[in-house]
Amino acid sequence: MTALTNNLALPFTGIFMTLVVFLTGQWLFKKTNGFFLFQPLFFGMVVGIIILIIWGKVQGRPTAYIYQHFYKPGADIVFWFVNPATIAFAIPLYKRNDVLKKYWFDIILALVVSSVICLFITLGTAKLVGLSHSSAAGLLPEAATTAIAMPVAEAIGGNSAITAMACIVKAVILYVLADILIKTFRLQRSKIGLGLGLGTGGTIGSAKALEYGMLEGAMASVCVVIIGIVVDLVVIPFAHLFM
Amino acid sequence: MPRKDKPRKGAPILVQLAIFAGILWISSIISAFFPANFVVPTPVIGLVLLYLLLTFKVIKLEWVEGMGMFLISILGFLFVPSGIQIANDLNILKDEGLQVIFVIFVTTVSLVVITTWVTRFIIAIHQKLVGGGNNDRVD
Repeated sequence: MTALTNNLALPFTGIFMTLVVFLTGQWLFKKTNGFFLFQPLFFGMVVGIIILIIWGKVQGRPTAYIYQHFYKPGADIVFWFVNPATIAFAIPLYKRNDVLKKYWFDIILALVVSSVICLFITLGTAKLVGLSHSSAAGLLPEAATTAIAMPVAEAIGGNSAITAMACIVKAVILYVLADILIKTFRLQRSKIGLGLGLGTGGTIGSAKALEYGMLEGAMASVCVVIIGIVVDLVVIPFAHLFM
Repeated sequence: MPRKDKPRKGAPILVQLAIFAGILWISSIISAFFPANFVVPTPVIGLVLLYLLLTFKVIKLEWVEGMGMFLISILGFLFVPSGIQIANDLNILKDEGLQVIFVIFVTTVSLVVITTWVTRFIIAIHQKLVGGGNNDRVD
């Protein structure tokens, strides 16, 4: 039995499980002509968590233990490839260099203005539902990628575990709801705007943007870079002023 | 120039991998030079670096395009582990879970919608002031 548990703790488990839940989602998504709950990333995430919870119940261990011992070793290997995938967004950006050269100032200005507006919205909503200081501060840097958002959250006294979760949930919400949001708010009227908007969803949002076109994808990758710098610079003074 | 008509052949897959790995390695070194209160993560530096290398023609598009577009196309899969990571910290959802999810939802939607609208507005003003062709129209 120990030999079995030891081998299950090798990366094979996590890699295979990730592939199976994602591919199952992809298959169901195709079968149902794109039913939004079967969006492969969302489906894979929910089913994966459920599997780990059930596994924990069977073994009589907490879910976090099962996650760390059996899922994480393989998951880390899969997730490592997000690194080269992120830098690959330089390719759509390079292909639409013309737009960047023409509108670089508009883009920076738009991202600074909209992220400040959104900081007020986040803080206002957090106060409205009565979040604790550490949760609210954890959510403020949400617009950036996880690696930037987490230290910023800690600097303003936020719970960075909430920040990490926010960055994931944000990406999933965007990926699942992008089509509906675009229709409801008529976002497709500005290709540059839509690209920048989806770029607030980080790398995943940029992948979605690329599905709409090369220009949108290029703008999303610009957004990932610039909004990270904006969050780095703006959120800490904002928190000191308004929290 | 007859060469232009030939379909461009991508570099061998290992060469493409080596370019990505090399850029990431250099980026991780650059990343260490940023102060702790101004974090710039390795892949973000790598994105800028690869963009500059392409723009200044140090790297040719066909050396990275095949690998890069493949990685982007499987990105949804690559992010599954980061979603399942929540299983490590289900407790944070117990106290204020619903409120936190609600705020995340509101923030996410407003980020997309407001960024798109503000950009559209600013570019429209730019066009009015400067004139010239508009790249931002759909039709």
